[in-house]
Amino acid sequence: MATHQSLWGSLVYLLAHYGWQYVSSYGVALRIGVLSFLGGVALAFVLTMLRVSPIPPLRAAISFYVEVFRNIPVLALLIFIVFALPEVGLVIDYEPSVIVTLILVASAFGCDALRSGINAIDPGQVEAARSLGLTFFDIVTSIIMPQALRTVVQPMVTLFISVIVSSSTGAMVPLAHTELTGLVNQINTKDALGIPTFFVAAMFYVCTGLVIAAFGRFLEKKVALCR
Amino acid sequence: MKSRSLSPTEAALFEAGGPRTKRRIAVGTAVAVAALAALLAWVVYRLYINGQFAPMYWSLFGDPKVWGFLGMGLVGTLRAAFGAGAIGLVCGLVLMFGRMSGIAPIRWLSIAVIEFVRGTPTLLFIYFFFLVPAQFGIHMSTYWMVVIPVASYASAVLAEVFRSGVEAVPIGQKEAALSLGLTRWQMYQSVVLPQMFRIVVPTMVAQLVVVVKDTTFGYVVTYPEMMQNTKVLIANYNSLLPVYLVTSIIYVLINYAISWFARWLSDRIGLDFEV
Repeated sequence: MATHQSLWGSLVYLLAHYGWQYVSSYGVALRIGVLSFLGGVALAFVLTMLRVSPIPPLRAAISFYVEVFRNIPVLALLIFIVFALPEVGLVIDYEPSVIVTLILVASAFGCDALRSGINAIDPGQVEAARSLGLTFFDIVTSIIMPQALRTVVQPMVTLFISVIVSSSTGAMVPLAHTELTGLVNQINTKDALGIPTFFVAAMFYVCTGLVIAAFGRFLEKKVALCR
Repeated sequence: MKSRSLSPTEAALFEAGGPRTKRRIAVGTAVAVAALAALLAWVVYRLYINGQFAPMYWSLFGDPKVWGFLGMGLVGTLRAAFGAGAIGLVCGLVLMFGRMSGIAPIRWLSIAVIEFVRGTPTLLFIYFFFLVPAQFGIHMSTYWMVVIPVASYASAVLAEVFRSGVEAVPIGQKEAALSLGLTRWQMYQSVVLPQMFRIVVPTMVAQLVVVVKDTTFGYVVTYPEMMQNTKVLIANYNSLLPVYLVTSIIYVLINYAISWFARWLSDRIGLDFEV
């Protein structure tokens, strides 16, 4: 495409020719982000329960897991899953690979967030629960977790936004349905439309983040605990 | 930042139990150890039946040239990370002042820049600097294609970190400085910023982890950082899984060391501050 066109003109051209592809790629980014977040939070839940369990080797193993997946770059993990795991006979399709990568990373961060939520609870509550005869499982599910969940709204919202943004790592592998960042790359290889292609994609990400953040603030007010 | 030892709440969860609880914990421990051992055995078995322990896959690590090449990648990673970190520090401060400016248009512009950069994937920015300047005939080195996007993201995040740091400095300090006749600039320079930095140093160091992770996108623009050099090694030697494994372990160790240092700083400063 010619660069002599005005920025506005190329924006109109872009939306007319690629508008639908943007929407469907955004859908893929959202699908990867939402599935990874839900999977990550569910796994974080289980991991946190194990991490505060009275069994030392389990606590150590979960701490190890969290340190590994908090500190590994998403790209390094994705490449490992996509290229190295087939060497040991584990072949996962591209999109599930991206989701598994993000679930592993999100669960580590989610586990840390939940743990800080637990630490914000007064130990007296646990002692009171135990003196009433509640078992460890009862204490965790009916005293600890409901309160911990309320205090971690903000970190979880941040995590959700960062998981959606990280779905862009999917651009590094040939997905069957291209996600947003990969689409921008494709459009620019075919049709050098430059700045507007990036701007439109960036606005999709930014607006999604702002909407989720606004929802998070609303939710936090709603479930806030007075301490 | 959390301390490594058990928190009071966690400690309360499992105080000394009676004989039955002790027995249950012992059984649970045995089961957990068995399960973890089985998991480890399964991983080793998968590696073994697929021949991943064959010396031909590992022999390259006996070659000092291989380590030298990975080391060069590590140097590239650190160069990009420190470059981006330094630029992020300066631009983050500028953005913070813009964000807190009394002049509304400057404040709005800063908010817009911060929200835009924070909400956009770094990879999208990297593709931008990889593809767009070339369309205008501008030649950029791969170093800057990595450093500018990574630094932009760090600036936006640090601007918010700095702002919470400034807000954490007691208001009385600012009022006292102004009542002594200091100008606003003098107040920031000699009263607010020194305290702000003390508060945010651990968070700043922790942010370096994100910067190191983001430099892996050097892989996209073939900037010779560790991920890119790993790709080159794999293309030249007949070994894939071991090389990716070693690189991943190096990344985890570096970032773990940075996180540990941030926690240490945070404990030492003794302030419980988190953004």
